[in-house]
Amino acid sequence: MTQTTPVNDHPEPIQLSAFIDGELSPSELQAIQRHLTECHPCALQVLSAAQLKAVTARASQRFLPPPEVLKRLASQLVPQETTKPARAWSFGHWAWSAIAAVLAIAVSSIVWWQMRQANNLTAELLDQHLAVLSSGASPEIISTDRHTVKPWFQGKLPFSFNLPETLPPDTTLRGGDLTFLRGQPAALLLFTIHRHEVSVILTQRSGNPAITGMPVNSSGFSIKEASTRNLRIFAVSDIDPTELGSLAAALQAVQSTQ
Amino acid sequence: MPRRTNSSEFEQLALPLLSSLSSHAFWLSRNDTEAEDLVQETLSKALRAFDSFQAGTNFKAWIFRILRNTFLTSRTAIANARTVFLEDDPGLSDITDAGPNPEEHILRLENQAAVNDALDRLHPQLREILLLCDVEELKYKDIAIVLDVPIGTVMSRIFRARRGLHQELQQHFGESL
Ligand SMILES: [Zn+2]
Repeated sequence: MTQTTPVNDHPEPIQLSAFIDGELSPSELQAIQRHLTECHPCALQVLSAAQLKAVTARASQRFLPPPEVLKRLASQLVPQETTKPARAWSFGHWAWSAIAAVLAIAVSSIVWWQMRQANNLTAELLDQHLAVLSSGASPEIISTDRHTVKPWFQGKLPFSFNLPETLPPDTTLRGGDLTFLRGQPAALLLFTIHRHEVSVILTQRSGNPAITGMPVNSSGFSIKEASTRNLRIFAVSDIDPTELGSLAAALQAVQSTQ
Repeated sequence: MPRRTNSSEFEQLALPLLSSLSSHAFWLSRNDTEAEDLVQETLSKALRAFDSFQAGTNFKAWIFRILRNTFLTSRTAIANARTVFLEDDPGLSDITDAGPNPEEHILRLENQAAVNDALDRLHPQLREILLLCDVEELKYKDIAIVLDVPIGTVMSRIFRARRGLHQELQQHFGESL
């Protein structure tokens, strides 16, 4: 770890490993950087090792805990004098930012991986919607008034969003809740369109891959996606996909000021 | 019962790590239910021991160490080769002396499934350290705290883990590399 690396001498592979981890001393670092500019085989090794490191980091995405597990664990942290479980989510903006920062693991743009992610994301979105449909519990904030729902999320999420003044025909806001999508904090908005339940999930764009190729229809449900500069918006329901698209578009349109 | 100020400080430090702790617990135990139990137990132990945490030191390393010790004393770990996590020198010692290899090709790392399989086949102790380094992005000195080994061991074990992973992948892709 302390040896220096003459220009004509290849560094030890173990040093290259420490190099990609940023664990070398300044003098070791300088020597290796100098060597790498002149030695193609070593540069290739470093590239290979760095790729392996990146791909190892991505492998962890397989085991992101489901949102309900995170909720249960978070509720365990709440001081016992707080009785209402929902209060677990009243922690401040800093906490969400920290969670987002930790979870925003470098996301690759490799196409096939996106496809795989897209399929996982579809499954997670459907799970979230089915949970809404099946749970007898009402959402944390119940209101048809956007002036009540929007402020409720403030300080609870590391991002903000707007709600449209006018919704598409026969579309009603029912309420909202906090949730996780792909391990990141998200807003869950509940709507009805012609009495069909619609879940809309808004999440920060960073850290969430584009989901080109996501099936539009899955198990009788449709998913519509819209993006703004900062947000991703997903709408899930069993209604006509065109109407679902209108709601997603209406939400997208009012985010322009972000 | 810890003081209120302590528990809210603990909450602030632990909340952002829930996802990391859970996924690392899963890698260790390979079981959803057990992973959640492990994290719950870790949180409650960590809260009780929070007085012993020194402000200014790395909380993540401190709580990951508690997670690891909790895992090592769990039924599953004891039943299944707990010792593989405690060996001084996990297998693959033969790979340390390999010099630079100019013939080395870039692996087809776009194949994430193959990498996942290779990670699964890796010695548990090597996989563990690689996850702490590459996924949890802990520095060598903090990994040394989690695993309770010298920093030199961390450096050589990470190197061996990568070499092992690389060899697993080479076997997977065979001569086409
Ligand atoms: Zn060289």
